[in-house]
Amino acid sequence: MEFRSPTVWLRLMHEPLPVAEAVSFLQTPEAGGLALFLGTTRRWTDDRETLSLFYEAYEPMALAEMGRLSDEALRRWPVRRLCLWHRLGDVPAGEISVLVGVATPHRAEAFEACRFLIDTLKRQVPIWKRETLSDGQNVWVEGIPESKPR
Amino acid sequence: MSDAPQVRLRVLLFSTLRERLGSSELEVFVPAPATGSRLLDQLAAQYPAIAAYRPVVRLAVNQEYVPESVELHENDEIALITPVSGG
Repeated sequence: MEFRSPTVWLRLMHEPLPVAEAVSFLQTPEAGGLALFLGTTRRWTDDRETLSLFYEAYEPMALAEMGRLSDEALRRWPVRRLCLWHRLGDVPAGEISVLVGVATPHRAEAFEACRFLIDTLKRQVPIWKRETLSDGQNVWVEGIPESKPR
Repeated sequence: MSDAPQVRLRVLLFSTLRERLGSSELEVFVPAPATGSRLLDQLAAQYPAIAAYRPVVRLAVNQEYVPESVELHENDEIALITPVSGG
């Protein structure tokens, strides 16, 4: 699933994320700074070895929630281009699961908006990961509980 | 048993709840007026796996987080969102 406008590109993909496509979308003469964050599957967590992660999403809501996050980033910072992409299904160790890219006139706001987007995505967007460990275990990773809306 | 009219709700499940209940969708009948907290209480009473997540599960209606005080209707798309772990 995806949403694309001249400034915002949101994607949920079951294939490897094409990073070069994001970079060319993000490049614009109006922006002097472009921050790109890539989240990857980490092999070692202390002495536990992760072979791959499996990502499941409530896809239509995940895309809607990513849209709400990007709207908020557009309100708070002078964002000229924004990419928020997440891969679903199996993501082997070392491969990219999430891509956040922001282009703004100056670098400070690009870093800030990028940080806001990845931190908020991890708390709000309905995507879950299941870890496959080298000892054969398969476990759903529990996120940190969020306060409920009132 | 009360004769109060019942509202038929469809509830989507994901990740750990989907696996533990062996289903990605539940059909539930809740006495009218059906609220989010009534639905969650009833599901928690019926399914131990949901009871375990009752303090932390968030409710989504029509693809948006909502407070548990929300009133639910038959055609709403309702989902239980356990703590997310994307990224």
